[in-house]
Amino acid sequence: MIQLKTMLNCIDNSGAAVVECVNVLKKQRAATVGDRIVVVVQKQRNFGPDTANNSGIANKVRRGDIRHAVVVRARKEMQRSDGSIVKFDDNACVLINKSGDPIGTRMNGVVATELRGKQWSKILSLAPMHV
Amino acid sequence: MTAFSPIMRQLACLRSLAKPQSSISSQLGRRSITTSYTPKSEPVPLPNKLPKQFISQLPERLQPAPGPKKVKVYPPPASARNACKDPVGAVAESQMAILDPKGERKALFDYRRNPRSVKVGDILRVTFKNGDPFSGVCLSIRLRGVDTSFLLRNELTRVGVEMWVKAFSPNVNSVEIVQRTEKRKRRARLYYMRQPKHDMRSVENIVTNYLRQKSALSGQRGRGQQQRQKRR
Repeated sequence: MIQLKTMLNCIDNSGAAVVECVNVLKKQRAATVGDRIVVVVQKQRNFGPDTANNSGIANKVRRGDIRHAVVVRARKEMQRSDGSIVKFDDNACVLINKSGDPIGTRMNGVVATELRGKQWSKILSLAPMHV
Repeated sequence: MTAFSPIMRQLACLRSLAKPQSSISSQLGRRSITTSYTPKSEPVPLPNKLPKQFISQLPERLQPAPGPKKVKVYPPPASARNACKDPVGAVAESQMAILDPKGERKALFDYRRNPRSVKVGDILRVTFKNGDPFSGVCLSIRLRGVDTSFLLRNELTRVGVEMWVKAFSPNVNSVEIVQRTEKRKRRARLYYMRQPKHDMRSVENIVTNYLRQKSALSGQRGRGQQQRQKRR
């Protein structure tokens, strides 16, 4: 149940660590896994002082940026069509650009398989593990 | 004048006596007419042998009744309750026969009766039909007949994941007990294990150990069979 003001972990290497949801897109309810949201980057991931100057691993987003994101994990349990229920211990998202491609190139952390049915299979393939 | 009026009243009283008798008697006579009782004329009995063609002309209540009106009585429909006393139970049983014909899965989770069943706190490994396994600590078992399910909790990539799995789901290929609890848990639901203080964290290494041992055992067994075949 991700809604206005919800803080989410960002699990890609775009440079954001913690983001805050400011809008849920295409939905009048709380967002869950697979939903597109608008976020504000609240905390940056620092890759160390020496690497920060290198252009290679420079953060692609900065604190205060407004970006689109896809929810990949949710605390709220979700029921699957076979009756099983899955829930995670945190809310997490992946930043995407306006066209829907992920900003980061790597992801660390498990994601929900529900992304497959919602045209986010690119994110699913980037993820190291899915449940 | 005030002294005069009572005398006048007395006179008025007398006036009624002075009235001519005939008018009073005529009033009485009129009254007697209104209350006089005249017996109701008895209905003329119908002629005994009325020709049939006239009967239809009589009012309905006077027509000779053909006997009491016959109401058609239908037998009650066959009671579904007699046919099947417990339809829900029957459906559940038939479903169970399809989903778990040997009753192994039922015995595996019936922790109230079967002492060798899964208990809360056990580490389980579930493989699904689509191939991906899920393992975790069993936090609770819901015994609900066909809808029996159990809750597994694990930590994948440092994120806690919980999954309710339906025990008799056709999507579930196998349920294995990786490790039993050392000590019987004194709670039926181990929801306290979500708290960081009590969390078991990841059970992946225990499961991989178990799988390695299992594959080693099955591999030895496989080799033994091969040797036997060679001897033959």
